[in-house]
Amino acid sequence: MPGADKETDLSERIEAFLADLKRGGSGTGPLRGSGEMARETTALLRRITAQARWSSAGDLMEIIRNEGRRMTAAQPSETTVGNMVRRVLKIIREEYARSRGSSEETDQQESLHKLLTSGGLSEENFRQHFASLKANVIEAINELLTELEGTTDNIAMQALEHIHSNEVIMTIGRSRTVEAFLKDAARKRKFHVIVAECAPFCQGHEMATSLSKAGIETTVIADAAIFAVMSRVNKVIIGTQTVLANGGLRAVNGTHTLALAAKHHSTPLIVCAPMFKLSPQFPNEEEIFHKFVSPHEVLPFTEGEILSKVNVHCPVFDYVPPELITLFISNIGGNAPSYIYRLMSELYHPEDHEL
Amino acid sequence: MSSRGTKQKKGNVTNEQEEEDQPLQAVLIADSFNRRFFPISKDQPRALLPLANVAMIDYTLEFLTSTGVQETFVFCCWMSNKIKDHLLNSKWCRPTSPNVVHIITSDLYRSLGDVLRDVDAKTLVRNDFILVYGDVVSNIDVSQALQEHRHRRKVDKNISVMTMVFKESSPGHKSRCEEDDVIVAMDSKSKRVLHYQKTQGLKKLQFPMNIFQHGSDEFEIRHDLLDCHISICSPQVAELFTDNFDYQTRNDFVRGILVNEEILGNQIHLYVTNEGYGARVSNLQMYDSVSSDLVRRWVYPLTPEANFTDQRGQGCAHSRHNVYRGAGVSLGHGSQMEENVLIGRDTSIGANCHISNSIIGNYCTIGDNVVLDRAYIWNNVHISNKVKIHQSVVCDGVLVKEAVLLNKQCVLAYNVVIGPNMSLPEGTVVSMHHPEEEEDDDDDEFLSDDQVVGNSKDKTKQKGLVLNPDPDSDSESEASDGSQDMGSRSVSPEMDDVKVFQLEVLGTLQRGEEENIGCDNLVLEINSLKYAYNITLKEVMQILTKVVLEYPFQQQGTKLSSSQYTVLLLPLLKKWSPVFKNYIKRAQDHLDCLSAVEELFLEQETHQTAMVKVLMNMYQLEILEEDAILKWFSAGATTDKSRQLRKNQGLQKFIQWLKEAEDESSEEGE
Repeated sequence: MPGADKETDLSERIEAFLADLKRGGSGTGPLRGSGEMARETTALLRRITAQARWSSAGDLMEIIRNEGRRMTAAQPSETTVGNMVRRVLKIIREEYARSRGSSEETDQQESLHKLLTSGGLSEENFRQHFASLKANVIEAINELLTELEGTTDNIAMQALEHIHSNEVIMTIGRSRTVEAFLKDAARKRKFHVIVAECAPFCQGHEMATSLSKAGIETTVIADAAIFAVMSRVNKVIIGTQTVLANGGLRAVNGTHTLALAAKHHSTPLIVCAPMFKLSPQFPNEEEIFHKFVSPHEVLPFTEGEILSKVNVHCPVFDYVPPELITLFISNIGGNAPSYIYRLMSELYHPEDHEL
Repeated sequence: MSSRGTKQKKGNVTNEQEEEDQPLQAVLIADSFNRRFFPISKDQPRALLPLANVAMIDYTLEFLTSTGVQETFVFCCWMSNKIKDHLLNSKWCRPTSPNVVHIITSDLYRSLGDVLRDVDAKTLVRNDFILVYGDVVSNIDVSQALQEHRHRRKVDKNISVMTMVFKESSPGHKSRCEEDDVIVAMDSKSKRVLHYQKTQGLKKLQFPMNIFQHGSDEFEIRHDLLDCHISICSPQVAELFTDNFDYQTRNDFVRGILVNEEILGNQIHLYVTNEGYGARVSNLQMYDSVSSDLVRRWVYPLTPEANFTDQRGQGCAHSRHNVYRGAGVSLGHGSQMEENVLIGRDTSIGANCHISNSIIGNYCTIGDNVVLDRAYIWNNVHISNKVKIHQSVVCDGVLVKEAVLLNKQCVLAYNVVIGPNMSLPEGTVVSMHHPEEEEDDDDDEFLSDDQVVGNSKDKTKQKGLVLNPDPDSDSESEASDGSQDMGSRSVSPEMDDVKVFQLEVLGTLQRGEEENIGCDNLVLEINSLKYAYNITLKEVMQILTKVVLEYPFQQQGTKLSSSQYTVLLLPLLKKWSPVFKNYIKRAQDHLDCLSAVEELFLEQETHQTAMVKVLMNMYQLEILEEDAILKWFSAGATTDKSRQLRKNQGLQKFIQWLKEAEDESSEEGE
């Protein structure tokens, strides 16, 4: 039976993806960039939409929500996965509303009055069957995929507005987005980049190699020297793992130090963050926030007896509060941290915040 | 792995394609073939013992699956049904699993060797496979090692049969297992193993000179290696185990291959990594250290909260200081979880408890004012108030009554009830099984029979067992541990190999005489002994000569007169002459044999008169050639004693006779 075949093929793919997520990031954060992760998640969700058995938008949302829950549980630190699930849920809601003929705008608007009287457009209303829904949803997901593919380029295109000639720019670790951003600016302008190495994983070294290959004048400094060097810096440009709902960041270790130093010297701190990194989570959700990896990088396993006498921890992420951030550059333009809540409500439906 | 594979493909597309198409296979041995975990392992096979609340075999399977293994053969022997049930209910046997698990059970497996012989008999493996035990915990990425292994096999025409994975860790590391400490001599460039020696209990090490004369100019002798017990084997390994029926363990195999390297042309290589984690839970000490490594996240991403087995409700939350809490855990007022604590689901803990470096299973109840330090508490355990547990294991279903104190290294096996108000001395093991049940094959691990003072309510038989978590604390069991890996062999490697060999040869000959075994079979047996103990051909011959000539003394005592001795010896010589002929072929062999004879008779001065007869006899049986005897006679005398020996009248006459005989024969020739 071809149907059953499809089903097992689908669940096999899902299992493989989950297993991948669980094993993902054995040390230096995600093995793949979060951009790739977002694309993979979306592609998988598209496959689920196409191949799973569902008759109404409600069914489909339930399926996706279930799988989404498993995916986020598999690797809670990989927030892009959850974000993409929310995006797809939002797409289904919109497509359903469009098929029903009601305007999308009505449920977009969020007011206190509406929240109080809500319960009108809940799951029961998604029971109606539309033949064209599947095709529409898949097309919308395809659009999302195209958008995802263009994000880095879109961000990099704005580089010339932010980087000027002979500026000194500091960054930390290795962010693919920042890398593309700086390289794009380097085509027209000459500037100097200082890279903090970002111990213990030292992704900064890779970043510096890559930048200097592109002809950018690059200096690597130890993390401890960030404050000392900051007085010379015109701008700090960093990437991030997640943008939290309050406008704060969850970024690699050492970013907080960097942000504080920048604040002290009143150096503007610019965060390059594609929209898919916006996550409707708050920094107090402790379990999701932390990620501790093997302490190997901090104190190598080859050390003998000392290991039984000490406790070694190796956290991966820092929290950077929103007041330290000057500007977010996303694929749709620059925004202040205080505006993040608004973007969030545009991207995700409030009912999907909790998967 | 796939990405690396694609990079490689540029070179040799078709060949590489073939390699890639074959699914990667693994052989997992879910039995330890020893009794380190007795009496716990009497109720539950070792592979299913919980390690940080997950069965050990799940770690091994997860490791295999994450390295890209697509087909795993799980071999079980002891309590195979339990292992089978566990696997069938786990995620590994779901249809979506990328790793197909086949379970093969048999009660006949007695060692690793038996399993691999069965692998060969059933021709299960078609390509290189990974060989692991069911109690290996690892996150090492072996794809690199696999690549190197395949490359070597392609370049060197299948000479390399095995790649062993080792992890760098300096001596004194707590995750290094005493029993598995090895010294390895290897070629730095090709990573070929030249010498391999377990060091446990050894004070002196000897490296044969010839290993350094193999042409490569760089060698490494390393002691900073932790054996992960992960080996990448080619299908030949299984065949070699079949060919050499005396190989029991991997250690036998490695030594056998290294000794026979020139003959068979097989090599063993090493892959040393300093990333990742790999260790085998081979005894309680390792259980302790691997558990604590897991909780301290050394095996990331195999952490307790990852729930990689995909079991419902198994997940837990990780918070600061490596404290993990399962679902439904309740903690009383004033209780502290200091650090490195894992608590399973639905466990409740009373007030004012103090818990550090401990692992507590599911559905446990723990009373008030309890102190747990380095305690490993499994599922469904009840611990009453005021109990103190230090560095001990408490198995499923145990009831610990009020105010019990468990000192270090205690084990409470399944369903034991203990207390109230007692203190167990260090190293106590309490089990529901009567120690005498196991008397026949009672293991050296559990030495003493001294009864533990104290009474448990339900007539639990108690027995003081010495487990061995602390190497310093008892040297006795350590010394005897080594014998365990050797499987059926009764001798430990600490004994001088040559001496052991000599005893074995003697035993063989005795049996040969009693049971009238043919000389061919004797030769075969001696040959296999030779390989097992790493004895050179020269030594074999010397020992053989010595054993045979001493044989009458062995049988009848040393007070034989010379004439009695010769009477007894001559028929033996005749009988075993084919054995001698098998070993004495080249001229040098003759000389060696003669010097062995000489040596023996120098020791047994009273019997020197018998020497002539022996030599005469050996000459007549064509064991020795006259040229050799003459050469020996003229050349050999170096010490006073041997000069004396040569002045023996009988010998002089014999030599005279030989010379004449030679002259005659040459005259006849003319």
